[in-house]
Amino acid sequence: MPFRLPKLLLGSYGLLVVGLPLAGLAYALLGSVGLAGPLAAGCTGRYWLALGHDTSLLYAALYSAAVAGAVLLLSVGLALALVLGAQASLRRGPLLGLLYVPLLMPTLVMAFYLFQLLSRAGWLARVSYQAGLTGRLEDFPELVQDAAGVGIVLAQVLLTFPFLALLFQAIYQESRLDDYYQLTRTLGASAGQFRRRVALPLLLRRAAPTLLLSAVATLGAYDIPLLLGRPYPQMLSVYLTTRLQRFDLRELPAAYLAGFVVAGGLLVLLVLALRTIRRHAL
Amino acid sequence: MLLTVSHLSKSFGSQPVLRDISCGLAAGQVLAVLGRSGGGKTTLLKILAGLETPDAGMVLLDGHDLRPVPPNERQLVYLYQEPLLFPHLTVFENVAFGLRIRQVAKAEITQRVGEMLAELDLGAHAQKAPHQLSGGQRQRVSFGRALIIRPRLLLLDEPFGNLDAQTRADMQQLFLRVSRQHQITSLFVTHDSREALTVGTHFGYLDRGILTSFPSVREFVQDPRTSIAAELSFWESIQQTALREKI
Repeated sequence: MPFRLPKLLLGSYGLLVVGLPLAGLAYALLGSVGLAGPLAAGCTGRYWLALGHDTSLLYAALYSAAVAGAVLLLSVGLALALVLGAQASLRRGPLLGLLYVPLLMPTLVMAFYLFQLLSRAGWLARVSYQAGLTGRLEDFPELVQDAAGVGIVLAQVLLTFPFLALLFQAIYQESRLDDYYQLTRTLGASAGQFRRRVALPLLLRRAAPTLLLSAVATLGAYDIPLLLGRPYPQMLSVYLTTRLQRFDLRELPAAYLAGFVVAGGLLVLLVLALRTIRRHAL
Repeated sequence: MLLTVSHLSKSFGSQPVLRDISCGLAAGQVLAVLGRSGGGKTTLLKILAGLETPDAGMVLLDGHDLRPVPPNERQLVYLYQEPLLFPHLTVFENVAFGLRIRQVAKAEITQRVGEMLAELDLGAHAQKAPHQLSGGQRQRVSFGRALIIRPRLLLLDEPFGNLDAQTRADMQQLFLRVSRQHQITSLFVTHDSREALTVGTHFGYLDRGILTSFPSVREFVQDPRTSIAAELSFWESIQQTALREKI
């Protein structure tokens, strides 16, 4: 007899993963119109009107999108290059095992490690000073807590790229791309044509839902931007947390509003993207 | 001779897979090679296609040594047991693949692919995805994709092995018709003696890396290793028993 999940258990799980986030979203919406929160003073639209004049949320969103885009592009590029260019090494030798190592690291540990390595007082800066490559602290380039978010991108890529490489490798084997390679060769295709016309579209389309979720995870990353980012511009999670933790309770409705807009916007984006991906699924 | 194979040998580690194989194939002929699994059939086809390198021996196509020629320049198409259609492309684009990579003009692609699909009775399925087709239809698309580049030699590795009996018989007839129409030279590997007799014009038996070529159908049928004579006598005895019971 097939195992059926008890209704109560199923309902509790549904409440946990859908109900509570929706309740949080509803509370944020009510807070943003002055109907919930410690200093709620009745229905008002002034926080929504003020949103039009406040560009900080927009900047945080654009900055986060740029970082997430850069991380996704770099990680996908590196993972594809590895899977399509080093199949032999991935099947034999320690490379496959080594790809798991960064995945075992908590994000905060990775951020600390990169901070120690790349900051102006870090190991690389000291080595370059000792080697005579730099004479002063300022001569070493800003690689963490920089305006362009290089440190954040680097840390996220170090965590995302191995995961995507393992994902692409699993799809490569499951889709029998080795057999497709041999077939396309006898049909007259060069190795490059096989990669461009068969392997790349197949890998990217099969991995599309996971790539989307990975981009969303980067967009909402907190630990790494907190440690390796600047107070301005901030990524969304850091921006929202900063606003929610301010001492002035009168600023809470604006923070609720920002949280609601970000969560709602992300949900809409996610639904639209998933629908597009499903339409082109293999 | 279009294809000449002489003294071909191949081992994987200490395990010999092909032992001193020699055979020839003239244009338009279909060499049906019968053999059990693990006999070296796939390795032979892969060496001819350029996907494996032989340890010794020579492969000549039209008198030219094929060994230095990469697989994509040999014009020898290797067909797997499974159709291996590209899942991200439509039926039309699957068949057009070989033409697109050769950068054939758009109008010519449309015309040639349209004709090929019509010939294989796939015209109505041109815009479908591979997963929307039946097993036989998929195998026909795979044929079309190979035939459209006008291969000099078709290498078929048990191409109908995964099909049900009726579809398999239909595909054998289709293969015969298309082979004759396009004057295709093929090396057809199978473990089914009936299929070998249906599609072949010439016959061989490959077992434990040793290929025996037969000068006529009669000798192929009578060789005890092919088990065809034993099968015939089995059916005859069944028929006689049935007749006796009737009397």
